[in-house]
Amino acid sequence: MMTTLKAALVACLAGLALPAHAQDWQAVVDAAKKEGKVVIYDMALGAPYFLAVLKSFETKYGISVESLDLRASELAERIRTEQSAGRHLGDVEMITTTMIEEQRNNGDFVERLPAIPNAANLRPPFKATDYSVPAYVQPMGILVNTRLVKESEIPTSWNDLTDPRWQGRILSDDVRPLGSGNTMFAILEHQMGGDFNARLAGQKPVFSRDMRNDARRVARGEYAIYVPQIFAFASDLKGLPVKLVVPKEGAPYAEMDLAMLKNAPHPNAARLFIQHFLEADSQLLYANAWMPPVVTGVVERANRDAQPFASARLIGPARLAERPAMMALAKKLYP
Amino acid sequence: MTVSADDSLHDSGRPAPTARLFAALRLLRATAAGRIVGLALLVAVLALLSVYPLSMLLYGSLHSTPPGMAGTFNLDGYRDILTRENSITLVNTVGISLAKTVPSLALAVLLAWILARTDTPCRGALEVLVTLPFFIPPILTAMAWGMLGNPQVGLLNQLYQAITGSSAAPINVYSYGGVVWHMMQYSVPFLFLLIVDAFRAMDPSLEEAARMCGASRLRTFRTITLQLMLPALTGGAILSFIRGIENFESPLFFGAPAGIHVITTDIYDSINQRSPPQYQYATAVSFVIMALLFLIVLVQWRLLRGRSFATVSGKGYSPGIVRLGPWRWVTFAVCMLFFIVTVVLPVGQLLIGSFFKFFGFYQWDMLTFEHYEAVFGSSEFWRGFGNTMLLGLIGASATMVLGGLVAYISVRTKWRGRSLIDAMAWLPWMMPGIVLGVGFLWGFALLPRAIPIYGTIWALLLAYISLGTPLSVRVMSSAYAQLSFDIEECSRVHGASWLTTMWRIVIALSWPSFVVGWVLVFFGIMRELSASVLLYSIGSEVLSVVLLKLWVNGNAEQVSVIGLMMMVMVILFRWVQLGFTRRHLGTL
Repeated sequence: MMTTLKAALVACLAGLALPAHAQDWQAVVDAAKKEGKVVIYDMALGAPYFLAVLKSFETKYGISVESLDLRASELAERIRTEQSAGRHLGDVEMITTTMIEEQRNNGDFVERLPAIPNAANLRPPFKATDYSVPAYVQPMGILVNTRLVKESEIPTSWNDLTDPRWQGRILSDDVRPLGSGNTMFAILEHQMGGDFNARLAGQKPVFSRDMRNDARRVARGEYAIYVPQIFAFASDLKGLPVKLVVPKEGAPYAEMDLAMLKNAPHPNAARLFIQHFLEADSQLLYANAWMPPVVTGVVERANRDAQPFASARLIGPARLAERPAMMALAKKLYP
Repeated sequence: MTVSADDSLHDSGRPAPTARLFAALRLLRATAAGRIVGLALLVAVLALLSVYPLSMLLYGSLHSTPPGMAGTFNLDGYRDILTRENSITLVNTVGISLAKTVPSLALAVLLAWILARTDTPCRGALEVLVTLPFFIPPILTAMAWGMLGNPQVGLLNQLYQAITGSSAAPINVYSYGGVVWHMMQYSVPFLFLLIVDAFRAMDPSLEEAARMCGASRLRTFRTITLQLMLPALTGGAILSFIRGIENFESPLFFGAPAGIHVITTDIYDSINQRSPPQYQYATAVSFVIMALLFLIVLVQWRLLRGRSFATVSGKGYSPGIVRLGPWRWVTFAVCMLFFIVTVVLPVGQLLIGSFFKFFGFYQWDMLTFEHYEAVFGSSEFWRGFGNTMLLGLIGASATMVLGGLVAYISVRTKWRGRSLIDAMAWLPWMMPGIVLGVGFLWGFALLPRAIPIYGTIWALLLAYISLGTPLSVRVMSSAYAQLSFDIEECSRVHGASWLTTMWRIVIALSWPSFVVGWVLVFFGIMRELSASVLLYSIGSEVLSVVLLKLWVNGNAEQVSVIGLMMMVMVILFRWVQLGFTRRHLGTL
């Protein structure tokens, strides 16, 4: 009896010592621990930095994380089907900004996001919306084979890709369907001016659809250049004769956001997870894998080899409303 | 032949559950009502496995939005198909599939004849080796062939240039030829596996009769052997042609860079790379393809109707072996050449690459065991492996039993409604896997909560059974078509019950085909991705999903380690299967 009274007294004193918002957040943490589990629907497909964040969350809060990994379109359809069937199994989704926008346009799949304290630490250009908060970004650069491209010839601008010397020597992710290729195409259409994509098409880049293998094809010398090279994927190629270039105009990027699914079975754990993902330590795991963090105070802590990429200038993102026009333009330029 | 019609199944030691099962079967068999109940049960099972997911897709093709969302019924999906661009894509698809099916069939027949009917040296080992390509994940062979046959730095072109001094690069896998070649690596062993036992299970007296009547060896082969193989050959060719139409990996890897579009890449794009996904269009295209493919199946039914292909009769025989003399070394060389080109070259790349940090960079300082350590030390891999083994063992067994039942009713009875169940079993084979996976997702998710399938490992099991049933039915149909009705009748005349006849005659004689079908279905389950990725839930990850994750995360070398491990399993399975087949044939 005495022990219980003591514990209650300590709790009250602790409560008095904390500001009101901290008390509120402590209530979220307690409720999350009581829920004991959070289910994440994501498209990380077992990426090591993502798994490291999950592990740190489990260690810190003792809440188990279940992650269902799917490719983007499969993830969106699975969420849509489950929600339509009244099966509310997932708590949080981590998916592209445009897909969340699409979900919002097509149905009622995403919950209005409750306050996430760490959202206050977002750095420009990242902003939270009523329904989602940025999680990480996938910037894209130019990958060159250092055995085939002399140091003096390495492109430093997106415009350099239109130099006649690269005609037929560029491998590219297909820019016509939805994906990284089209994201690059759409952002550069705005950034580089009207005729840039037409001039690039004149270089007759060869299209492929397997980004991971394509980078290796460039490393093996099949092609001199690969675009768009996702920064994080290039961080895995250390030791190969390739170099990732961040063009002076900046790197087009795709943004991944965190959102809470409708009727999430573990809403407090979901909220706590989103908060944890925006912690500087979590973001540092991404920065060390060459991805610019979305919160302040992280870039400077990144490993030396990751610094140039974590601090890269970003251009974009692509807008959902422009997609049909951009896909049509790409199809016109690459019949 | 050791099977005796006088033998009976009056084994007193049979456990009670089996006895109850046999009693139930006897009841079903004994009465017309029982037969109707049995058929109705079978129809119900097939309806759940194939008609239900397809009906969800049909809804999707006729509705402006996918199931569960407000929308309107219209024919927009079908209307969008009617474009010139789509006609060209269709012609491309059919052309590529024909271009790979015809030579694949010819090569498979040649290999099957060599390995089943001649005295070619090392036939046992060769029979295992020539089938290996079928079991390697296509993504791995695509990568390997990309390294071997790219026009810039491909090893084969470099070899050619070193030998001839020319700067030309005659091999380019990123072309029509590359797409066809990559498909053939799967279709030749697939067709070989489907027809080799039909070659083996043939009474040579028919061929001997032709020879005695003065027919040449070639004419005998053409007019007797091939004719009797017609169910197996046409069944296999149709399966292979349909698979060619639905093939996705080869056109994606080798066709896309050359601007070659096929229907499956079109469907893939409309689901995965349009904003928003065009499910109505994708499902509509799939149904049009399905209708076209069904016409081909109808042609086969017409072709075979009313003809007898029985080669296994009550007379004892052993498969006739053609003595080739010195020519047996030529046939040996043909098999070895096929093995070297389709297995040694690509798998050699994978094997060597798995010991280096990166594929294609074979430097001493990159030599490593880290990929093996990563795979075998991964709990996710072992969980996926365990789940896949469980699903593979149960799924392949259940699929073959179901396929055996459907095939029996379709081929060896005159029951009304047999064509219906045969057609129902065919359906999943004619729907592209990418779309069928969505059908299962929609179907299982929208089931009432009282049927707890969605989100469990059983959803995967049902999908695998559905996907494997067409193959199991074809394999077992071909086997049953070769059994003479005389032996069944002979058994019954000698007093054996229907069940005894089934067990001691029909099942006993078609057992080798059952085992081949089982191996094909088992490894089909191991490789299946389209449905797996949409239906797996946390904790029920399967190997194909693990492979996908590794690939997407740039761990191609680890994918190779798993691919090589799968090949070791194949060799083991095939060795056991062939040993079993030989022992079994030895008793006939």
